[in-house]
Amino acid sequence: MSRARDVLERLVGASGVERAVISMAALALSIVVGGLIVFVSGLGAACEAGANYHIAIPLPGSVEILLFDGRLSMLGFQSCYDPINVYEKLFIGAIGGLPWESGWQPTNFAMEVFLQRATLLLFTGLSVAVAFRAGLFNIGTQGQMIWGALVSAVTVLFVADFAPAGLAGTAILLPLALVSGAVAGGIWGAIPGALKAYADANEVITTIMLNFVATFGTTLLVSEFFQDPQSAGGTQTRMVPGNSLVPSIPFGFQGTRFSILALVLALVLAFVVYFVLWGTSFGFDVRTSGLQPEAATYAGVNAERTIVRSMTISGALGGIAGALWVLLANGRFLTGTEVPSLGFDGITVSVLAGNNPLGVIFGSILFGVLKSGGNALNFQTDVPPELVSILSGLIILFVAMPEFFRLIGRSMGIGDEQATVATDGGEDDG
Amino acid sequence: MSNTAVRLAGITKRFPGVVANDQVDLTVEKGSVHALLGENGAGKTTLMNVLYGLLQPEEGDVYVKGERREFQSPRDAIDAGIGMIHQHFMLVDPMQIWANIVLGQEPRKYFGLAVDEQAAIQQVHDLCERYGFEVDPTETVEDVSVGVQQRVEILKTLYRGADVLILDEPTAVLTPQEVEDLYDVLDELTAQGKTVIFITHKLGEAMHSADDITVLRDGESIATVSVDETNQNELAEMMVGREVLLEVDVPEHEPGETTLAVDDVTVTDGDDIDRVKDVSFEVRAGEVFGIAGVDGNGQSELVEAITGLESPTSGRIVVEGDDITGHSRRQRIDDGMAYIPEDRHERGLVMDFDLVENGLLGSQHAEPYSKNGRIEWDTVRGHAEDIIETYDVRPPNADADAHSLSGGNQQKFIVGREFERDPSVVVATHPTRGVDIGSTEFIHEELLDLRQRDRAVLLISSKLDEVRQLSDRLGVMYEGELVDIVDPDETSEEEIGLLMAGERPDGIESMRTTGGRP
Repeated sequence: MSRARDVLERLVGASGVERAVISMAALALSIVVGGLIVFVSGLGAACEAGANYHIAIPLPGSVEILLFDGRLSMLGFQSCYDPINVYEKLFIGAIGGLPWESGWQPTNFAMEVFLQRATLLLFTGLSVAVAFRAGLFNIGTQGQMIWGALVSAVTVLFVADFAPAGLAGTAILLPLALVSGAVAGGIWGAIPGALKAYADANEVITTIMLNFVATFGTTLLVSEFFQDPQSAGGTQTRMVPGNSLVPSIPFGFQGTRFSILALVLALVLAFVVYFVLWGTSFGFDVRTSGLQPEAATYAGVNAERTIVRSMTISGALGGIAGALWVLLANGRFLTGTEVPSLGFDGITVSVLAGNNPLGVIFGSILFGVLKSGGNALNFQTDVPPELVSILSGLIILFVAMPEFFRLIGRSMGIGDEQATVATDGGEDDG
Repeated sequence: MSNTAVRLAGITKRFPGVVANDQVDLTVEKGSVHALLGENGAGKTTLMNVLYGLLQPEEGDVYVKGERREFQSPRDAIDAGIGMIHQHFMLVDPMQIWANIVLGQEPRKYFGLAVDEQAAIQQVHDLCERYGFEVDPTETVEDVSVGVQQRVEILKTLYRGADVLILDEPTAVLTPQEVEDLYDVLDELTAQGKTVIFITHKLGEAMHSADDITVLRDGESIATVSVDETNQNELAEMMVGREVLLEVDVPEHEPGETTLAVDDVTVTDGDDIDRVKDVSFEVRAGEVFGIAGVDGNGQSELVEAITGLESPTSGRIVVEGDDITGHSRRQRIDDGMAYIPEDRHERGLVMDFDLVENGLLGSQHAEPYSKNGRIEWDTVRGHAEDIIETYDVRPPNADADAHSLSGGNQQKFIVGREFERDPSVVVATHPTRGVDIGSTEFIHEELLDLRQRDRAVLLISSKLDEVRQLSDRLGVMYEGELVDIVDPDETSEEEIGLLMAGERPDGIESMRTTGGRP
């Protein structure tokens, strides 16, 4: 028990560099553990590829590791899945191959998937980070994103009829779509914020519930009012006009999949959020409330207003993610299983980043790589998609755990420990 | 050796970055009261936690009755006859006193299947009889006074066969009368051959209650002296390491107009209980108005109503003629009200912020620290460094997190931040709670300096000598009411103590100017 405490203490007290090293070590460990799981999973599977091994690694004694094309034999066991091949596909496949290989294009499909996912997660991650910094566990970024997506899609479809064609239309429609998405998400975030501030309703519960309302409320609205008449199957809106999509400038991705403009906007916002939190009076209020609400009240912070404002900003960032999901990835609003869990992944991204807006950039890159690499694995190997998900999950779990334990340690009051002991523990003396 | 109850030899205990105990020796005679005196952070509690088995020392040995012992846990220490009564009682409030005492070692009946209540009550009763404790074993803990609860804690350790009782700051929660009763209890215990170790940082208590005193400073044992051969000044010097003024020199100063007026204020809590009942008083410019009272008699609620953390149910707060009852906390800060809060860990400081950020607390929207909503970090840093220098905060490092500072230095930083606002009204709640003598002296001087500069100072403290020495007029609170306002120079400590306990001694002259009640 006391050993566990010591470890927690070390984690809570870790410096920035130590935390980065811990994260890298955790990543390496997750790769080793994941590799073993891949190997074991392949033992019972039926192999497809040929049996010519291309590498033999001799070990002491008569043991030998044989790497076949697409499978591996170790200690006399033969597995159909070669962990090295799996990781090669996961990490290098995520960007469509090695950049110095011939034929590699920076605008290849895998890069688009990777960058698009990273960009969207940057917004949802920022959304969660703002709320967490204010001490609010906003689980509702998903719902805020969904509303942002629907409202921006509907707004664009409505206004497009009156907007000029071509780039002039883009200049009107695109900002309008982003703003309407932000407003919708902001309102959806302000609701649980107000409930928390003025009715003392736990924001974890209300945001989770409002996620359901958002998911099914938007589905209902689309099927009743905004359904695409040409669509055979799913409940979805019409396609937004081409000139409302985020344009592929300065150079050409396919446009509906990824645009550097969106990434630049996300990066700028990450720095803006960082500046607001650490450079403004409002940000000081937010951070004080998040760390010590009592001290914030003492310092003249209006607790209710700060809660509502933080949740509104958080929701607005989620709403922008939704708008871009429409304008970047799909060109229309989709429902049901077509909606990716960007909002929920945003929670992990933010925790991974220690709720630091700039750290969120790296968290979203990791998630983007795993998404795109997972695709590559599914296309290029016979490793089942479930195993791919397990590998991604493991990596996130391992990388997030140290941060997670730091949060736990802090909430247990570890870290204050030193000071308390040093001051004799004797605070009250009457 | 035969007469030694406990001996600690060369105890060294380190925490990351701190040596809490450095080669400390301590010898406690059997049947004596031994005070462990030192400032906060001197290592008193750490040393006793080692003796009680809560901490394991890196070096050094523990001897009980001449035998070397190693305690892995408090259980081992209890088996060796050592008991510890912590500052915060560990009692089950809704349970009866006898049940709290026997808990875990109940007498049993029906082959151990049930607690033998009659036997337990009888045993507790016998124990009370033997030590002359006036405790009814069948009362419920939450219904009895704090003084009785403390006796229950003592009985608990006696029931477990303790010969050596460690009391950690036992007077912190008691009224002056209860403190006297505690001294009687200690006498009775030692008369029956028990040994008491008494942790305190109050000189008077150590002198009054102990036979021998060991002074600790910065984790080192400075000296062990017999009370007959020392005096308070010598002890204070040993504690602090330099000469200190124990008496506050209060200069003559004529107060001016009323600056803060509290008018018939009532505060009702969530359970519809009036925490503050119709309290009225005035604080004039250049005056220290003290409020004495045992903790929990409405002082906290009154202060929160004045400083804007709570709104009063009825009544008015008036500052310099303006009714500020409806003003928000931030407006009050802007109006020039400084507030040293009761709980520096919860309110006064953000523990995970460094001192730069903590210096900004409360001024985050005010010029020159913030312009157009943007924080001017250079100005803020300069401000924090000024506070650190002027108020001698150690270590002098603005980048240190608040939680890395000792209690006294945290408090000095808060005092500095609040006084630097150049306030017209200062509300100081327990400004020297948990603060060492040196810092206490300094904070008192600063409060009196504000008084010289014609500021209105409202001082709330449960330290009777502090409010008596500093205040020009002294209000006493009991159960939410301001029972009287007296002249601290004309009223004895005993008389004030009685007022604090809700009694009304004869011959007290009231200084109440308004709203007097019979």
